[in-house]
Amino acid sequence: MANLQVELCGVKFKNPVIAASGTFGFGREYNLLYDISVLGGISTKGMTLEPRQGNSVPRIAEGASVILNSVGLQNPGVEHFIKEDLPFLRKKGVAVIANVAGKTLEDYGEICARLDGLVDMVELNISCPNVRAGGMALGIKPENILEVTRLSKSNLKKTPLIVKLSPNVESIAVNARAAEEGGADCISLINTLTGMVIDIERRKPLLANNTGGVSGAGIKPIAVRMVYEASHAVKIPVIGMGGITCAEDAVEFLMAGARAVQVGTANFSNGNAMPEIICGLEKWLDRHNISDVNEIVNTLTLN
Amino acid sequence: MKDLLATVKSNKKIAENIYMITLVLPEDAGKMHGGQFVNLSTGNGANLLRRPLGVCIVEGDEVSVCYQVKGRGTQYLSTVEAGRKLRVLLPLGNWFDLDGYSDIAVIGGGVGVFPLIATIREYYKSKNFYSYIGFRNEDAVCLWNELNKSKKLTITTDDGSFGEKGNAVSAYLADRNNIRADVIISCGPPVMLKILKQKLKEEGIKTPCFVSLEERMGCGMGACLVCACKSASGENLRVCRDGPVFDINEVQL
Ligand SMILES: Cc1cc2nc3c(=O)[nH]c(=O)nc-3n(C[C@H](O)[C@H](O)[C@H](O)COP(=O)(O)OP(=O)(O)OC[C@H]3O[C@@H](n4cnc5c(N)ncnc54)[C@H](O)[C@@H]3O)c2cc1C
Ligand SMILES: Cc1cc2nc3c(=O)[nH]c(=O)nc-3n(C[C@H](O)[C@H](O)[C@H](O)COP(=O)(O)O)c2cc1C
Ligand code: FES
Repeated sequence: MANLQVELCGVKFKNPVIAASGTFGFGREYNLLYDISVLGGISTKGMTLEPRQGNSVPRIAEGASVILNSVGLQNPGVEHFIKEDLPFLRKKGVAVIANVAGKTLEDYGEICARLDGLVDMVELNISCPNVRAGGMALGIKPENILEVTRLSKSNLKKTPLIVKLSPNVESIAVNARAAEEGGADCISLINTLTGMVIDIERRKPLLANNTGGVSGAGIKPIAVRMVYEASHAVKIPVIGMGGITCAEDAVEFLMAGARAVQVGTANFSNGNAMPEIICGLEKWLDRHNISDVNEIVNTLTLN
Repeated sequence: MKDLLATVKSNKKIAENIYMITLVLPEDAGKMHGGQFVNLSTGNGANLLRRPLGVCIVEGDEVSVCYQVKGRGTQYLSTVEAGRKLRVLLPLGNWFDLDGYSDIAVIGGGVGVFPLIATIREYYKSKNFYSYIGFRNEDAVCLWNELNKSKKLTITTDDGSFGEKGNAVSAYLADRNNIRADVIISCGPPVMLKILKQKLKEEGIKTPCFVSLEERMGCGMGACLVCACKSASGENLRVCRDGPVFDINEVQL
């Protein structure tokens, strides 16, 4: 049986399969389906300092092999998480990644300070609108990424920092380097691509928010390319995601340079997707006589 | 709650644009109640979202749901043949819990009748149902024999081609003094539920009323927060997990 354990920034994961932020809540519901302690880790729903209500409905739509969501940042707030959900996740023994967001630059510093030492890693969601970027996302311009990363890092003395990159940018390599320069310990990507679906009868966008984040199987080739570019632009470890539905998909990301992966939308199509991916990964490695999952990381040779 | 690969036993048209699909479950998924739903794959791999459909008929290891062909997903689903395997997550959500009630007014419209049928089947041997069911026209009328497990059944159609001309809410209001319902349960198009809420208020009807809501879903189990509706006090509720059945006075319609 191949070794599946990976280590990122000193944090141990039982296996490289992590639940992607926003698709898994805080793990309680999926734990009714299977014991979530089989997972490598969980990235929580994006949290803010105060509770948030999110966007109007409809918040979800479908395209061919993709979905779009515009949940916004509905969440119970960081204090609620620390009190109610963190103890549950701790008991489950999975690596806990707190996904965080803010309306202002300062929010990021404050929420990082609050979570420092309490969770295994903090993941910055910089794809949401921010006052500092004039209502645009902080994750678009390298100078904004550098600034928010620096501020967040200065508020994290104990907990390693992941910066989650947005794909809606000019150069993923440049942005990855900006995060590294700002002091990120790790990078994760990709967040959702921005898209729109139109209800032609009403001549209106289907989502109440007009646009939404595109995710799911259909975005995988874009995600793999971006993970490849990012992991070759920086020295810090990379977590890859975007459209992973099976073990073979995860292997692609690892070969492209990711040290671990996250799985989001696939959980909607198959509630057991993650345990099946973990099991399938082990089988794939055994079939290829590879004794350690870490051996396949970054083994791609270009044509 | 289980996520299973079920085998399609049959998938047949039961009325104009309405199909009943019967699934054989490979293992027991626990007791299922009327008002609960399943999240069913369309069978087309390009549809990453499964479709929420109300549990309609449960017999042993077989679950049947009925669906109207509306968009691309249900269109594809209607072409799925017996023997195919479909992913299904079930049972989901809460249900019409009628413990403590004896006389139930049932107000249903369109595809809202299917979860109500499950409730009637669950309780008809011990409770009296007075059902007011609206269909678009004669061609849409289906599962009459199931609905007829009610002590009293009134069917309405928009054009009067079957039963009374009119709608389910008006039919109930016209008849309500002839029955003594201690609870009302309802499921149907959002406009119907809105009118029902308004009429109950206008006419000062204090009978407890429970409604089943529809919203677009992702996970179907309460984790992703896409299926939000608002409580009377403005808080977010999850249709999939806090519902789909709510006290009509506790949600904004
Ligand atoms: C709890 C619950 C129970 C339901 N029970 C039944 C039932 O028993 N019979 C029946 O015919 N219909 C039922 N519906 C409505 C049914 O889910 C939609 O008609 C169906 O999902 C439409 O899919 P489509 O592929 O035709 O449309 P598409 O437009 O291709 O669907 C695109 C996406 O939007 C979603 N969607 C579109 N319309 C609705 C809607 N009205 N409600 C929820 N999601 C929607 C789809 O699920 C899919 O994710 C129920 C809905 C809910 C929430
Ligand atoms: C419903 C939904 C909600 C999401 N919420 C968040 C969030 O709060 N924070 C975040 O960083 N990413 C969020 N994401 C993005 C995912 O974490 C992930 O980056 C993206 O979906 C791509 O992976 P996938 O194709 O496996 O889903 C969300 C995605 C979905 C589908
Ligand atoms: S559909 Fe995911 S929370 Fe309701």
